[in-house]
Amino acid sequence: MNNADSTTALLVVLRHAPHGSSWLREGLDVALVGAAFGQTVDLLFLGDGVQALIKGQQQGPLGQKGTHPTLDMLAMYDIETLLVDVESLAQRGLTEADLQLPVTLITASQLPHLFAQHTPVFNF
Amino acid sequence: MQLHLLNRSVASSHVYRDALRAMSDDDYLLLIEDGVYGAVAPLVEHFSSIAGRLFALREDLESRGLEGRCAESVIVVDTEGFVQLTEETERTVSWF
Amino acid sequence: MRYALLVQGAPYSHQAAHSALRFASALIDRGHRLETVFFYHDGIYNAQRLATPPQDEPHLIEAWQRLHHEQGTALLVCVAAALKRGVIDERESQRHGKQGHSLAASFELTGVGQLIEAAMTHDRLVTFSP
Repeated sequence: MNNADSTTALLVVLRHAPHGSSWLREGLDVALVGAAFGQTVDLLFLGDGVQALIKGQQQGPLGQKGTHPTLDMLAMYDIETLLVDVESLAQRGLTEADLQLPVTLITASQLPHLFAQHTPVFNF
Repeated sequence: MQLHLLNRSVASSHVYRDALRAMSDDDYLLLIEDGVYGAVAPLVEHFSSIAGRLFALREDLESRGLEGRCAESVIVVDTEGFVQLTEETERTVSWF
Repeated sequence: MRYALLVQGAPYSHQAAHSALRFASALIDRGHRLETVFFYHDGIYNAQRLATPPQDEPHLIEAWQRLHHEQGTALLVCVAAALKRGVIDERESQRHGKQGHSLAASFELTGVGQLIEAAMTHDRLVTFSP
């Protein structure tokens, strides 16, 4: 297996929407801690995970924190690469203009490379 | 080369679609837990694009009464075989 | 090879812990070392000291403890995920002014940094989720 084009960046895949479960929050925590430990961290929003980026989110009615403030902190942790699966956006009737942060769009043919090239991969 | 694990039935969850889209041409997919419901016809047709690279965990088939109903195209492994697959591949990615 | 497992499912609710324990015993049988198990998300309930399954069901908490005693496997529980769900050791209990503690023996509370480190330093990391 040729690893010449592998990166040592950590890939955190976020596949769950905000509020309905803690997967998104706990996945983001892994990304932030990885970055705090000096690792290069790339985030991939896939499936319902793309809902994490939608504009206009608020905290829950009981004060549940939500994840949108955490997204604004990513740059402070040097997490600059926010990858978004184009197909997941399209399936949900979303476009880049609906998102609260600038992102890099990923096409279907790029997706397998992302998984193959990062070590390690955390899939939340 | 990676081993992907899927523990959801294709009849109830679409996560298998994202798993298939994330797989490289030489990656393996192992069905475990409720994932093994996808090893039976006609549901197994959802995995036609990865013929020869689709595995199912024997213990999870047996406990669900599916061992005799598993499609012939699926390679059945026991947990020792599962460990072997993790030896042969560089990394494991879990889909749930 | 050196293995680490990430367990994210609660015992007796999902199959994740069963699958992980079966995988653990098979990898040891094949001559590998299970050095670390990291419990995250609802997986932290695997460290509940007071879990009392009926006698005809496997005692999953004791199964983890056996791995620790027989293989020296570190049983690491994410402190942030555990405390908010009520799994707390004696030290944290005192620090937060609580009575009693709920973390089973042989498990230790630790940070997510240990998960990152496990992923970097072990040959394989296998995740079992609900």
